[in-house]
Amino acid sequence: MTLVKQTALLLWKDLRLELRRRESLMTMFFFGTLLLFVFHFSFDLPPDRVAEMTPALLWLAFLFTGTLGLAQLFNAERENHCLDALLLSPLDRGALFLAKTGFNLVLMLLVEVVVIPLFWILFNLSSWNLLPQIFLVSLLGTVGFCSLGTLMAAITLRARARELLLPLILFPLMIPVILATIRCMENVLRVGEFGEAFAWLRLLLGFDVIFLTVGVLIFDHVIES
Amino acid sequence: MHLSTEKLAKAYGFLWALRDVCLDFEPGDLTALLGPNGAGKTTLLRLLAGLTGATAGTVRFDGAEFAPGSIELRHKIGFLAPADHLYEHLTAAENLRFFASLYGRPGDTAAIEDNLTAVNLAARGDEYVANLSSGLKCRLSIAKWRLLQPEFLLLDEPYGVLDGSGVDLLEDFLRAQCAHGGIVVIASHHIARALQLCTRAVILHQGRVTFDERKQQPWPSFDRAFGEFLPRGDS
Repeated sequence: MTLVKQTALLLWKDLRLELRRRESLMTMFFFGTLLLFVFHFSFDLPPDRVAEMTPALLWLAFLFTGTLGLAQLFNAERENHCLDALLLSPLDRGALFLAKTGFNLVLMLLVEVVVIPLFWILFNLSSWNLLPQIFLVSLLGTVGFCSLGTLMAAITLRARARELLLPLILFPLMIPVILATIRCMENVLRVGEFGEAFAWLRLLLGFDVIFLTVGVLIFDHVIES
Repeated sequence: MHLSTEKLAKAYGFLWALRDVCLDFEPGDLTALLGPNGAGKTTLLRLLAGLTGATAGTVRFDGAEFAPGSIELRHKIGFLAPADHLYEHLTAAENLRFFASLYGRPGDTAAIEDNLTAVNLAARGDEYVANLSSGLKCRLSIAKWRLLQPEFLLLDEPYGVLDGSGVDLLEDFLRAQCAHGGIVVIASHHIARALQLCTRAVILHQGRVTFDERKQQPWPSFDRAFGEFLPRGDS
C-alpha cells in the first residue's frame, strides 16, 4: 500500500512539474512528428509493403522520441540536488522506479496517440479499423521500453556523457522488446487480427512483467550506487 | 536516540577524505563540526545522512547499523542544505506538502501555514521556489524540517545565505530540536556563531578528528586546536 501511495505521490509531482515546465512532452511531441515527416518525404510506401515497413518506421520514431524523454527523466531531481532529498527520505526506491516509469509512459502514450493516426494519414493507409490492436501492441512495447529505459537512465544518471551513453546501453537491451513489438504489429497489419501474433504478444507481456519486477527489486542498488 | 560512528572512512579513488572517525552523539547534543576547506566535513555529513556509502567503518543508530539502503531509519534523519533539496517549479506550500506526505507527517493546510508563518514566508506560500532568493529558500528549508521533525538533523553551511532574523530563526529551531532530545550536527565556517550555539565541538583536519570536546568557558584547548586554521592576524 505504501508503495502505491508513494508512487502516486511522486507521479503527481512529476506530472505537475511537467505541466508547468512543458519541457519533455513538447520536445518529444515535436521530435516524433518531425520524424514522421522525414519518413514521409523519404519513403514511398507501396500497399504491399505496408505491413512490413509500418511497424519498423513507427518504432524507430518511438525509440528516438522515447530516448529523448528518458534523457530528461531525472532533470527535476538533478536541480537543487532533489535526488538527494528523495534518497534521504523514507521513500521506497521501488516507488521512485514505478513513478518515473509511469511518468515516461504517460508522456510516450500522449505522443503515440498523436503520432500513430498521423502516420496513417501521412502514408494514406486505409486500415483504420486495426488501430485499436496497434495501440494495444504499442502500449505493451512502450511499457517494456519505459521500464528498461528508466533503469538505464538511472544507471547513467551520474555519467558525464549520459545523453550519449543512454542509447548505447539501452538499444541493445531493447532488442527483444523491439523485435516482439514489430513482429506483433506486422502480424496484425498483415492478417487483420492477432492470430499468430499471440506468441509475440505473450513474449512482450513476459518482458514487461520481468522488467517491471526487476526494476522494483534492484532500483535501490541502481540509484544509490 | 543514540548515534555513533566506528572507524568511519571514505575514500574517493586513492584519496582518503575521511579516516578512522569515531564519534558518539547523545540526545540533546548540538555539535559544531569545524575545520578548513577539504577537511571532510561535508563527506562526514553525507555519510551520517546515508547519502553516500562508507569505504570502511559503520554508522549506528541505537546500536543498529545504518547504511544507504536502510529505509526504516530515514524518517529520523534530516539534512538542511541551504537553498537545496527543494523543487524549483513547485510552490513553497506544495514543496512542504510533498515532503510531509513522503515522510508520513501531517501535511494539512494548517500545519503548512503554521510552519511558513514561523519562518515569515506565510505571504509567499503560493510562489514558486524558483522565484525565491537563496535566503528565502533557506528559510523554506527550515520550515520543511520544522514540519518533518527529524530526531537527527545535519546542517551544511546554513549561515551563508541567511540575514540576521533568519539566523535567529534557525538557531531558535535548533535549540528547540535539542531541547526535545534531538541531535544536531552543524558544519560551518562561521566559527563564532557555531561556537556560541553548540554544546560540543569537533574539528576535522585532513579527514581525521583532531579535536572533540564538550563546550567549556573559557576553552583554551579549543583555541589551541583551532588556532592553526585561522587566517594570519586573526585571533
